[in-house]
Amino acid sequence: MMRYLAIRGLRAILTIAFVVTFAFFILRLSGDPALLILSPEAPPEAVEAFRKSWGLDRPLWEQYLRYFVAIFEGNLGRSMRDGRPALDLVMDRVPATLMLTLPAFALKLLIGVPAGIFAALRRNSFVDRLVIVCSVAGHSVPSFVLGLVLVLLFAVNLNWLPSGGADNWKHAILPVVTLGTAGAAIIARFTRSAMLEVLGQPYVRAALAKGVPWPSVVWRHALPNAAIPTVTIIGFMVGTLIAGAVVVESVFSWPGVGRMLVVGVANRDLAVVQCVLLLVAMCMVASNFTVDLLYGWIDPRLRAWATGASGH
Amino acid sequence: MTAIDPATSEVAIGAPRRPVRARWSRLIEAWPPLVMLAIAWIVLTLIVAVGADAIAPYDYSRMDLRARLAPPAFAGGVWTHFLGTDELGRDVFSRLVYSVRISLLIAFAATIMGAVVGTLLGLLAAHLRGFFEEAVLMLIDFQASMPFMIIALAVLAFLGNSLPLFIGLMGLHGWERYARISRGLAISASEQSYAGAIRQLGATPWRVYGRHILPNIASTLIVNITLSFPEIILLESGLSFLGLGVQPPLTSLGNMVGYGREYIELASWILLSPAAVIVLTTLSISLIGDWLRDRLDPTLR
Repeated sequence: MMRYLAIRGLRAILTIAFVVTFAFFILRLSGDPALLILSPEAPPEAVEAFRKSWGLDRPLWEQYLRYFVAIFEGNLGRSMRDGRPALDLVMDRVPATLMLTLPAFALKLLIGVPAGIFAALRRNSFVDRLVIVCSVAGHSVPSFVLGLVLVLLFAVNLNWLPSGGADNWKHAILPVVTLGTAGAAIIARFTRSAMLEVLGQPYVRAALAKGVPWPSVVWRHALPNAAIPTVTIIGFMVGTLIAGAVVVESVFSWPGVGRMLVVGVANRDLAVVQCVLLLVAMCMVASNFTVDLLYGWIDPRLRAWATGASGH
Repeated sequence: MTAIDPATSEVAIGAPRRPVRARWSRLIEAWPPLVMLAIAWIVLTLIVAVGADAIAPYDYSRMDLRARLAPPAFAGGVWTHFLGTDELGRDVFSRLVYSVRISLLIAFAATIMGAVVGTLLGLLAAHLRGFFEEAVLMLIDFQASMPFMIIALAVLAFLGNSLPLFIGLMGLHGWERYARISRGLAISASEQSYAGAIRQLGATPWRVYGRHILPNIASTLIVNITLSFPEIILLESGLSFLGLGVQPPLTSLGNMVGYGREYIELASWILLSPAAVIVLTTLSISLIGDWLRDRLDPTLR
């Protein structure tokens, strides 16, 4: 088990290092940061002073190391727009984003998992077909189209709900529904195919053959096994909680991290974009690592494999 | 198809009794009407994309300020602008035609790029093994563990936007799946006796991969193309919707929806027709992909 965790932990650290490297090189590729941050008309002495103070006159490998150190000290640069530290700016927006993504996440799970399980258990029934149709639609309808259709229906035509902004809880309904429906379709599709896969396995047939009643076959044999692939996709969704609403926040002018990222990209506010990029990477890595831990807990085979492997 | 399908075997048993209906149901099973509709839609969009200059009644950027925000013909508008006009009096139908062209162009170019790069890397990893394989696997892990939208936004912020860069960026989407699939399949294929046999006969690696292994894994790769093509359309239209993808004066489907968002209360037709085209196109490819998967690749079922 320790060996398994060590490998997973190492991979998590490697991924973070990779993202930091990616950010560093793409930042260098974008041109001279001194000219980007100061204006191109800045006096040469100012540019020179800037280069010196940011270490841009050093060799590339030293800059690279300094970049790593700065990031691990939490020094992610300042926003070019208002000069505040980028990390503070982004952190200010996190609660607003979570206000959308957490309820949407609950909605996805509450609809998606039961729908997928039910569809698999009643294969080819009406519910199964409905789930298939919905999940195909969930893959084909982009979230901005779904969001705008909801705005058209409930805000413009019926005038029940506001079309954008973030003043009270009513403003959150449409974005949460938009995010939740698309995610529920994906989870339902995954859960369904995982369940179908498991229900076709020999051990399910064996359990039935030895006279285990159907409900306990489902509870004891099918569901725990089907949970494994489902947890993977759900884990991925946890990682996107912080920036999974880029498009939806823009549709509903919601003041979250995603909206900030879009504005940052449009204004080429590199510090903010880099900060969001790293934050998302950390969330993804943390949730992937948690999923790996959960595997060890859900799947006894993996525990056996890990202890067996460490014995060799 | 060698797998015994319960549905077809039932039809086969019923065949002598009701031959006409059985033939029909077999025909429908082989060529499902919904899939045929999907193929027809894709063919139509391709014709529109290729013949945009001949089909569009107006230039897509021609403004007609006297006919601003004209509703579509079926909502009380005039037939000369039968899908209506936008806030600058530009014909929505003409813009739609050119948007289809740009969106499909990007999606095709990016899909081909992702497929070629990914397959090549996967085959190289399977052939060279060692350090190169580890590096490719690490890149795959990295790409699969980050939401591609965020990577794309970061690249656009850092490097700025131009059409070739944007197409190249879209081409990076999904390469990791091709690489993973082709590496896995190539490793298992090269362990099979046919690959060993031709290698013993003195075939070069080029011949082994190009003439023997690639054709054997092609169907799985084609199925994957039908998965990533709609994803690229969604990604491109999403970024263009945000105003960060295709830049004016060019127009794409996502661009039109983003533009129309400002006029959703006054003139919802501006965004509804491109939105419908996006949904129908991605839906059609998904349907065709599912159908192809069942026909080409019984292992994936």
